[in-house]
Amino acid sequence: MKLDTSGLETFAPFHGANGDLCGELSSVPSFSLPKADNFDDFQKKAVQMVKPAKGTTTLAFIFKEGVIVAADSRASMGGYISSQSVKKIIEINPYMLGTMAGGAADCQFWHRNLGIKCRLHELANKRRISVTGASKLLANILYSYRGMGLSVGTMIAGWDETGPGLYYVDSEGGRLKGTRFSVGSGSPYAYGVLDNGYRYDMSVEEAAELARRSIYHATFRDGASGGVASVYYVGPNGWKKLSGDDHLSKKDVSKKEKTRPVRCIGYKLLNHVLRTEFLVDG
Amino acid sequence: MRSCSIPCRSREQIASVSETSRTSNLVSLRRTNLAFGMDPSAIDAKGGFSFDLCRRNAMLMEKGVQPPSFRKTGTTIVGLIFKDGVILGADTRATEGPIVCDKNCEKIHYMAPNIYCCGAGTAADTEAVTEMVSSQLQLHRYATGRESLVVTALTMLKSHLFSYQGHVSAALVLGGVDVTGPHLHTIYPHGSTDTLPFATMGSGSLAAMAVFEAKYREGLTREEGINLVTEAVCSGIFNDLGSGSNVDVCVITKGHKEYLRNHRMPNPRTYVSSKGFSFAKGQTEILSSKVTLLKERVVAIEGDEMEE
Amino acid sequence: MSIFEYNGSAVVAMVGKNCFALASDRRLGVQLQTLATDFQKIYKIHDKLYVGLSGLATDAQTLYQRLVFRHKLYQLREERGIKPETFASLVSALLYEKRFGPYFCQPVIAGLGEDDKPFICTMDSIGAKELAKDFVVAGTASESLYGACESMYKPDMEPEELFETVSQALLASVDRDCLSGWGGHVFIVTPSQVIERTLKARMD
Repeated sequence: MKLDTSGLETFAPFHGANGDLCGELSSVPSFSLPKADNFDDFQKKAVQMVKPAKGTTTLAFIFKEGVIVAADSRASMGGYISSQSVKKIIEINPYMLGTMAGGAADCQFWHRNLGIKCRLHELANKRRISVTGASKLLANILYSYRGMGLSVGTMIAGWDETGPGLYYVDSEGGRLKGTRFSVGSGSPYAYGVLDNGYRYDMSVEEAAELARRSIYHATFRDGASGGVASVYYVGPNGWKKLSGDDHLSKKDVSKKEKTRPVRCIGYKLLNHVLRTEFLVDG
Repeated sequence: MRSCSIPCRSREQIASVSETSRTSNLVSLRRTNLAFGMDPSAIDAKGGFSFDLCRRNAMLMEKGVQPPSFRKTGTTIVGLIFKDGVILGADTRATEGPIVCDKNCEKIHYMAPNIYCCGAGTAADTEAVTEMVSSQLQLHRYATGRESLVVTALTMLKSHLFSYQGHVSAALVLGGVDVTGPHLHTIYPHGSTDTLPFATMGSGSLAAMAVFEAKYREGLTREEGINLVTEAVCSGIFNDLGSGSNVDVCVITKGHKEYLRNHRMPNPRTYVSSKGFSFAKGQTEILSSKVTLLKERVVAIEGDEMEE
Repeated sequence: MSIFEYNGSAVVAMVGKNCFALASDRRLGVQLQTLATDFQKIYKIHDKLYVGLSGLATDAQTLYQRLVFRHKLYQLREERGIKPETFASLVSALLYEKRFGPYFCQPVIAGLGEDDKPFICTMDSIGAKELAKDFVVAGTASESLYGACESMYKPDMEPEELFETVSQALLASVDRDCLSGWGGHVFIVTPSQVIERTLKARMD
């Protein structure tokens, strides 16, 4: 038994030879369904079994110049920190980004899948897919697997013909349009800073700083968030990475530290940094 | 003064209640102490378990909190009777779940000068139960002026374990030599006992028993006995994951005992770097530092030494 | 979730040459939410005896108060401080009394005994003593601490080197644990002085 999701396709799939590579790539991947007597019960157990720690802080917001997307870089398994240098912002194409919260494998796989679909859309229609369309593609797929254990909490942010776009999509099937989102276990803390400091007419630098600071305070309070904050800006010319672990060289850090001692989230979060920062905020 | 809803008893009453509860049951309910208006478990010479956190903890478990794991000795413990007495043997690994938390612990416990006891199961239980019985045996020796009998220790252990219906999870191998000769017993957590010429206990008991079944015979010499015990424990160490590290042996003969701690060490650490890590001083970043000088203890001696 | 992981903690004790070090992290959290970053987990019993309490903070504090109470009674009766070995037996007895309804707390005891011989010891929550010659660990970061200490420990370290070693072991371990960290607290006790230091650490 298989769950067929081809009805959700927005365009006709390729008709190559059986087992053709093209066919493999273009058709919607489908999982074979379990042969369980009580499917509801099985689903419940499956969700429990693969329930991943949602140890993450991600955020994105629209402002005058475009969209800012930011995330921490910690991966945890229960209490154990398995990595401090995870890329939680997934580059779908040069104009669109996705964020990762929930199951890492689920997010990566379905964002890659979305990337393929967006490219095919581009080839078929001779223009880039809108953020609205892309997020709807993803939401439809996730909805078709609802209750089967997928765990995805993502934001699709990008720039299309209508300007900046931002959608929140999750594995429960929800899809929301908005100007300000934060997802993950650290999101309450991030929202606190973000809502407090948000203005529509910020400059890119101010916006990036606000995003960085929101992630920083979330990593402080939330045990499952940590590492460095990577910040992306999406403007009319596509996305640009503003900071992150691989972005800041040692030299940049020291330079940054000299000019702005309270905002050096790029490499390490330390006691004294925190104290000064609190004073600045207070 | 605020009155207490529990009627206060007179001291005589309290004494008599405590007296009966001590003789009738190891667990004194100690309702009596509430009369003093203090923590009933703070100082109580009567001893026994306290159950006042049980309801809270049960509530936590109900809310989905996992019960804690305790330190266990997933163990190989063995004993045999040889020509002149009894030999006990044990491995030295203590575990907490999958973690080895002690690589060289002692599992052969002292009971009396002529009696020793190997313990397997929950570490705290084996430790506490052997300690408790050994102190009772000491008092018994003071009272009678005679050497303790192995069966006395056996009865005390089994009656304690039986009264807790297996909740005190101690599996023991008890061995000793008294006026009636050498004795070897095994005691199970529920309080049942065996009397055998050779015995094994713990998670490695099957591996060790295989060795005993193949090689044990009556009238072993001391040397042969030690070697057989060592071989049996080693079989547990190498074939059972819950057992490991070294072999402890205890030889008890008439009027003499020999505790061979780490008799064999088949698992030495092989990867020790000769230099080890060395950290330069002052590298660790410090936020604050406080140094307190400790005063030398002054011993004042004035005039004649005091008499004790 | 285990109840030991509710507040989060990391405690380690190490023996040096005529001295010992006792270190802990400084976080107090409720599961993943950090509430405080200056939480005391190491308590002084007397000048040369300290106890680190990991596990559920409410039980740790209650247990500490009972330990202080019992130590004061001991002092009144004996007119001297308690020996570390005796104190360990006391803690063990207090914990084992609650065998069937335990304090969710794993203590680490470290002290200088007679002739200033260092003594360290840990227990599980029902009082099974583990005496070690080198180091003992407890808390949510205990597995990382075992690894770090196992490779970093050397016998007979002088106080300053012991400080570096125990600090590095602690910092390395809490960086792999979500529930502990946010600073470190180290006590180095020698026969003549006590050095108390707070460590700078990652705050995420």
